[in-house]
Amino acid sequence: MYVYLYDNYLRNKKFESTIKDIETRLTDFEIAGKIIRLQNFTNTQAVIEEEIKRGATVIVIVGNDETFGRVLSRGAACKALFGFLPVGTENSIAGVLGIPVGEEACDVLSQRRKVKLDIGWISNRNRYFISQLHIPSSDITVEYDEKFKVYGRHNKMELVVCNLQPFVWAEKGKESFVVHPQDGKLEAFLRPMSGRGMFKDKFEEPSLFPFEEMKITGSKPFPVEADGTVTKETEIIIKLAKNRIEMIVGKERAF
Amino acid sequence: MFQKPAHIEQQNSSDEQHSRQHDDVETVVGPSVHVEGDFSSEGNILVKGVVSGNVKTSKLFTSEKGSRVLASVKASNAVVSGAIKGDVKIDERLELTKSAQVLGDIECGVLVVEAGALIKGKVVMKGIEIEDPKAEKKGLMRGMVKDEEKKEKNLL
Repeated sequence: MYVYLYDNYLRNKKFESTIKDIETRLTDFEIAGKIIRLQNFTNTQAVIEEEIKRGATVIVIVGNDETFGRVLSRGAACKALFGFLPVGTENSIAGVLGIPVGEEACDVLSQRRKVKLDIGWISNRNRYFISQLHIPSSDITVEYDEKFKVYGRHNKMELVVCNLQPFVWAEKGKESFVVHPQDGKLEAFLRPMSGRGMFKDKFEEPSLFPFEEMKITGSKPFPVEADGTVTKETEIIIKLAKNRIEMIVGKERAF
Repeated sequence: MFQKPAHIEQQNSSDEQHSRQHDDVETVVGPSVHVEGDFSSEGNILVKGVVSGNVKTSKLFTSEKGSRVLASVKASNAVVSGAIKGDVKIDERLELTKSAQVLGDIECGVLVVEAGALIKGKVVMKGIEIEDPKAEKKGLMRGMVKDEEKKEKNLL
């Protein structure tokens, strides 16, 4: 049985026709199922667990990158097969997974090409992160795999850990990195701050370290943005959760 | 009429090349970054900053001009343009560019040294077939000493 989790923004009239087309295509493929509309404070883990108990076999997320991250950050704890139907703009993860935006995504869903994906685990927060984890420039020290420490020449550093979402460093134009979710490691980008400009901070060239475990410590609390949620921490440990989620992906996936 | 403009296609192909370039390099130590501790990778390593600890990779190790590695380096292939203070052990090809400085012993399969590169240490390369005359002489001397010892023993 298929269960579809619709994001709240899909109620907008702008998406009415796309949703109608998707639902028609799903009925044609005989994979239509129960629809649950997510609100801002919906506990996705509880919803998914409840639906699995009722016999759901495939949980399909309908929305954009933000929906995908929000659902799976808690839902990854559940043992289920996940699918994704991207609708609208801000859908960069769909491209990495080889899923076209809109109605054509139903074809990929019906083909059921299953792949196990690695995701990130924030051990002292007991939650997963799916797309990206971002720490804006702060006084931090990073220790990788309990083997080596990384410092910036200047104290402040910005850190981005990529999993599914490609990292784009906008400062220098189109420098984009392709992320491989199945390579058995997470990738961390570090940008030491070189000084303050008139309007924004200046940064130096980024460093890139693949890792399995990383400990970030700061003398003062630093903000951590993971899948749209911001918290303040003084220490976080990020680990790789290997093959944690099973996902239906497209043939054109980037890994 | 609705064809993709040529410049977009060119841009896409250059983007692909760029991403492929980043695909090859798996670990990058930026120019203002200091790494402390032993650091190993199964992919390529590019050092632009300072590493105080052993570096080990099963692929290509590259150090850029102005970079410093303050410990030993082990890799399959290497292109060195920075400074290394420690032993360098490369399984296949080691290339030292004109700005390279190595203070330590080098062991490699193939060595390429550009004019201007500085080395202070022993260089050992695999596959040499000529016998070392010094070793032969030492062997003879040892043999002579043993014979004299035998004679002395017989006399006693």
